[in-house]
Amino acid sequence: MALDGWKERLFRQYLYWVCRPARLRRKLAALVGEKRVAPPVTGRRLRVAALQVEIELFKDPLDYAVEAHRRTAEAAAAGVHLVAFPEDNNLPLLGMLPGVEEMGEAVSAEEPDQAPAGSGAPEITVAEVIRYIGPVIAPFLNILYATLAAAYGLYLAAGSFLLPDGERVVNRSYLYGPGGELIGMQDKVHLMPIEEEWGISAGDELRLFETRAGKIALPVCMDATYFETFRILELQGAEIVILPIANPEPYNYWLALRGIWPRVQESPVYGIKSALVGSLLGFEFTGRAGVFAPAELTAGGTGVLAEVESPEKEGMALAEIDLEALEKLRSDHPWRDSNLALYRRYFPGIYEHIQMQTKQSP
Amino acid sequence: MTRVAAFSLAGIRTGRPEEYAADLTGLFKELAPDLVVLPAHTSLLLCEAWGLLEREPDFGGKFKLFTQKAAEWNKRYFQLHSELARTGELYLAAGTTVEKERGKLYHTAYCFGPDGGLCAQQRQTHLSREERSFGLSRGEELHLFELAGMKTGLIVGTDARHPEVGRILALKGAPLVIHTGATAAGKESRAQPAGIWAQVQQNQFWAAEAQLKGSIGGRSFGAQCAVIGPCEITAGRTGYLDRESEERPFAAAELVEEKRLRIKEKYPLLKLLRPEAYRGRLPELYR
Repeated sequence: MALDGWKERLFRQYLYWVCRPARLRRKLAALVGEKRVAPPVTGRRLRVAALQVEIELFKDPLDYAVEAHRRTAEAAAAGVHLVAFPEDNNLPLLGMLPGVEEMGEAVSAEEPDQAPAGSGAPEITVAEVIRYIGPVIAPFLNILYATLAAAYGLYLAAGSFLLPDGERVVNRSYLYGPGGELIGMQDKVHLMPIEEEWGISAGDELRLFETRAGKIALPVCMDATYFETFRILELQGAEIVILPIANPEPYNYWLALRGIWPRVQESPVYGIKSALVGSLLGFEFTGRAGVFAPAELTAGGTGVLAEVESPEKEGMALAEIDLEALEKLRSDHPWRDSNLALYRRYFPGIYEHIQMQTKQSP
Repeated sequence: MTRVAAFSLAGIRTGRPEEYAADLTGLFKELAPDLVVLPAHTSLLLCEAWGLLEREPDFGGKFKLFTQKAAEWNKRYFQLHSELARTGELYLAAGTTVEKERGKLYHTAYCFGPDGGLCAQQRQTHLSREERSFGLSRGEELHLFELAGMKTGLIVGTDARHPEVGRILALKGAPLVIHTGATAAGKESRAQPAGIWAQVQQNQFWAAEAQLKGSIGGRSFGAQCAVIGPCEITAGRTGYLDRESEERPFAAAELVEEKRLRIKEKYPLLKLLRPEAYRGRLPELYR
């Protein structure tokens, strides 16, 4: 354990002090002023916002809170009932750790095959860093986003956070209600290979949350690579699937198309994709936040209701979604079908073939 | 290395059997493929072109009439395409026709081998609302067959929009799927990447996709033929090895299997599936 020396314990006391609830609450009270309320949900139409957040590191967590507040306030000013933040939305708080910023600059300057892991310093995994800082920032994040949701009276998907849960470290998304209540959480089920290397653990259940704004699910990024995620959620009754992403690769329209857009077409739901963009620790994050719908419910059959123009800069995609129209489409779908006999023949046994596939691959 | 081609039938003369055969044979010679894929409704299109469905004005009427004539008509259709495969010395996925078994009608794709023999047939497993109204039944199995050393599956019509089909074929071990499609022009065609393209990307197999370009009973079909592979091994990372264009009513490309295996090893999508999260949900949740 590289992070349990007296210096680290002492520093963590400092972190607890700067992240203390009273300090955060004072700041938020000053920022929010009078409590505002989102427009009432009329019928089954909702106005939603997918945020595109440019990542930056913060040494003082209150600066992070100021930015989170600014984005929420902008969405509220646009009249939304629901706002969604991106994946890994707690990474900016790593700026509180000494040397992280400098390490990021060093990594960026290095050749890709000369990462600082070989510098002779004791190796610390991402999971260890999260275990160290997680107990400090988890309550901070909870107070921050619960307060913002309540202050503006809207549904707030806080994106996902890398956080410890007992011995495990998970990538977990959060949804708060307009009263500030925590409605639900979802652990990322399908991990990227790099997350496995980092020591992140996968969730093994896809969850659905019934709210006054509709039935909402919160899978994370890579979960949208697999049709199974959206199919299971749709069959459970999901109407809105919020997908926070943080894609560490240069933007390419076709690579980006492999996620939420085809999933929404396969399993008719509304999809809200919030994206983390910008550079951090040698990673270049890109993406275009957007609101997606079955092609049948969009003008011109594009399947896109709104999308942020730039894949690299901050932005917000705003759209209105109509859950009644979705219900009607589902009950009278022109091409969608179900073949129980086929599914019962092959599922779940076909997944046992994964092992066979693995053996066949070189 | 396998060379595959998908034809939209645009520009192919369909009025007389000998013209149809000559035009296809010309393209076979030009492209020298191991496999040619024709679109869905090829059989219906020819049956209409040869004047057997004239008394019905619209697509629905023609299709229903076709289902009554299919048993007799299919003999000509099979014979013609078997002969084309044999003389072309290639695999020919001859699009789709309607077959009847034990009183049930199925929309089925057929593939003939270089010896002219039938090497595969696949019934459509998911039906659109309109197809159900025509009295079609769903197939309940998905088959693989050997094509030039590759295990291959056939995906018929709207099965392209049901990802269960591609997943089952991929996990059964298919490195190649053949799609015979016919998608209405306009809005429906704009969502085309949500079909076979998306199935390729989440299963990392190859696909040869033939889409009908033309009109039957006043209905226009307008999606594009394509040869598709995982984005990472295609130019511009588009996922397309080749696509039909205005000037070229077909798509043709060589499949370099080593490249596909390399990307599967580097980015092993199927290995990262999470059956433990699907247990008790698939198939239990399906209605």
